[in-house]
Amino acid sequence: MSTAGKPIRCRAAVGRAPGEPLVMEEIMVAPPMPREVRIRIICTSLCHTDVSIWKLKDPPGMFPRIFGHEAIGVVESVGEDVDEVTEGDTVIPIFVSQCGECEDCRSKKSNLCSKLPFRVSPWMPRYDSSRFTDLKGEVIYHFMNVSSFSEYTVVDVANLAKIDPSVPPNKACLLSCAVGTGVGAAWKTANVKEGSTVAIFGLGSVGLAVAEGARLCGATRIIGVDVNPDKKEIGKKFGVTDFVNPGNCGDKSASQLINEMTGGGADYCFECIGVAALVKEAYACCRNGWGKTVVIGVARPGSELGVNFQDVLDGGGKSVMGSVYGGIKAKFDIPILLKRYLDKELQLDEFVTHEIQFDEINKAFDLLIEGQCLRCVIWMNN
Amino acid sequence: MDEQPSSKTTGKPIKCRAAVSRQPGEPLVIEEITVAPPMAREVRIRIVCTSLCHSDVTFWKMKDYPAIFPRIFGHEAVGIVESVGEGVDEVTEGDSVIPFFMSDCGECVDCRSKKSNLCSNLPFKVSPYMHRHETSRFTDLKGEVLYHFLFVSSFSEYTVVDIAHVTKIDPSIPPNRACLLSCGVSTGVGAAWRTANVETGSTVAIFGLGSIGLAVAEGARLCGASKIIGVDVNPDKFEIGKKFGVTEFVNAGECGNKTVSQVINEITGGGADYCFECVGLASLVQEAYACCRKGWGKTVVLGVDKPGSTLSLSSFDVLHSGKSLMGSLFGGLKAKIDIPILLKRYMDKELQLDEFVTHEVKFEDINKAFDLLIQGESLRCVIWMDK
Repeated sequence: MSTAGKPIRCRAAVGRAPGEPLVMEEIMVAPPMPREVRIRIICTSLCHTDVSIWKLKDPPGMFPRIFGHEAIGVVESVGEDVDEVTEGDTVIPIFVSQCGECEDCRSKKSNLCSKLPFRVSPWMPRYDSSRFTDLKGEVIYHFMNVSSFSEYTVVDVANLAKIDPSVPPNKACLLSCAVGTGVGAAWKTANVKEGSTVAIFGLGSVGLAVAEGARLCGATRIIGVDVNPDKKEIGKKFGVTDFVNPGNCGDKSASQLINEMTGGGADYCFECIGVAALVKEAYACCRNGWGKTVVIGVARPGSELGVNFQDVLDGGGKSVMGSVYGGIKAKFDIPILLKRYLDKELQLDEFVTHEIQFDEINKAFDLLIEGQCLRCVIWMNN
Repeated sequence: MDEQPSSKTTGKPIKCRAAVSRQPGEPLVIEEITVAPPMAREVRIRIVCTSLCHSDVTFWKMKDYPAIFPRIFGHEAVGIVESVGEGVDEVTEGDSVIPFFMSDCGECVDCRSKKSNLCSNLPFKVSPYMHRHETSRFTDLKGEVLYHFLFVSSFSEYTVVDIAHVTKIDPSIPPNRACLLSCGVSTGVGAAWRTANVETGSTVAIFGLGSIGLAVAEGARLCGASKIIGVDVNPDKFEIGKKFGVTEFVNAGECGNKTVSQVINEITGGGADYCFECVGLASLVQEAYACCRKGWGKTVVLGVDKPGSTLSLSSFDVLHSGKSLMGSLFGGLKAKIDIPILLKRYMDKELQLDEFVTHEVKFEDINKAFDLLIQGESLRCVIWMDK
């Protein structure tokens, strides 16, 4: 019995109050509007950005909301004017849009679509409305154009990449955010050169994905920086060659130590936590003349990055830049990365440290907040 | 002072005139000084002419370190080699040379890399001394040390410069044009050409149309930029700027309720591909960053701000804009390779230099050059040593 064109009643994990456990509820998911696609989620994983916004009492925090933005699913039905995908296709939703038509989408140099610009919005990107209501008929807000903590969700076609269905879903979903972001930051944003030295501040899933990306680019020295000593062993699996624990540097800062270790700074420094003071540290141990400092971590709203003016000038061509979703254009680059996984070049398996069922979703939050997991995959049971 | 045959001065101290700065912000005093012979890897040069750059003025006014007095300022010049110290093969007595403040040792990782001009062997710093031996070659007639400036100190009939800070040039180039490539014009042209690597057809915005900003415009023009927006508070700068390729002018004092960056974002429909800050104010760098195109825009900092100044950007903007921020010292140029290239482009009538020279004075009138620059009435004032 086809559900196309009709609202679907299904289960979702609804965030109803900041920082409170998600509540499993029945909700209604409206059919897709033009250029939208309704998807049945297969599995999804928790990312720190979900946690950060879930904790917020003020905008961009908004409640009730369906979180989740790292996922994989199957197309249930499409709205008008959708030719790219069809019912039954396996797709990965991505929070960054790719309309394909604007100057940025057509340029090789930018993945920041100007037609559907990124914002932490409570709505669908094209119509600024919601497809979710609870059983009382009240609106439930979207999250980052994806909202994957639901058996069904609606996503704009600009936020979807069609993929080869043979890739194991609990690995493919990782490319939807963390691994795409990290590998992309090394590959696309920084364009890490063979033989270079890389320093990575923060060895969560994104930082480890940066290491993996740098390894694939042929970096010969990958310095991982983290206050958790367990990350040393974990990091090795992803190509980390040296480990710095800022808690153990004695009188020196991590950047001083890294400047010494590298004789003047790393060619590429990545900040993967979201703390302005750490971006400054990363910049301070980035090589003058040609170094690139790449900011990936999402800082608190209102955070300011302050750098010494003279340091910028003295750094010469040393640059600082941000990276959203690793500079990746999902529709082209996700299939490329998946192929590299199937060819056993790109490692994905080691990111998945836990797997749970949908009704246990709050466990994923506990594990991530306590720093005990990398990626916890949440399986929808159907 | 009479020209002495070199065989008479080689290896000996030279007595000559210099414009000595003894107090912050006070006029320079023309005095007799003594210039010691060059040590190993150094070159003693007879200055032909020199020009005043804003960086001289900045450190001349300053009271605290790295300001230090008494000092011989000047770092944009052209001269002739009088004698060389041990271990110098690159230049010889009689060669025409340009000295420069950015070291190019040719040996360290940075000098050997295409991607950097920041010599790590003799790193840039505002030092009172010679680079390699950390001592001064200047004394006044009481025998007291006079400090060097930016490893050049060209406000003197003779100076001593490290071999890493000097390059031989074609002697047929007019000296009052060649000296400009010693700092200002090279810095500006280089910032567009080397640091930013401005692409044909792109849009450029330049904050501050002093000699540096105008040189950035000239560099962007040579790179084929199609739109060059000049920003200044002095409306005269528009006519001047047109000579160097500026296509549109924004008077920062006349934007009404809007900020300069808002105006530029409107004119360009989303920001310039490259923004250059050529004044030296953190707040202007922030403006430049704000009207730099998202996705790929580059903001390049050339101006020098007060010590301790902080650039503050919103973390959200840095993360989400796709823009990059970098500095440019001496335009990213490797002096020994790039100055000759730029000189050739001048001789081939591609690079404009003539229009930068708005005034020429004799050495004894050097303080006039300071007045003109401080009052915003000159671009480059060339100071001729009289021989």
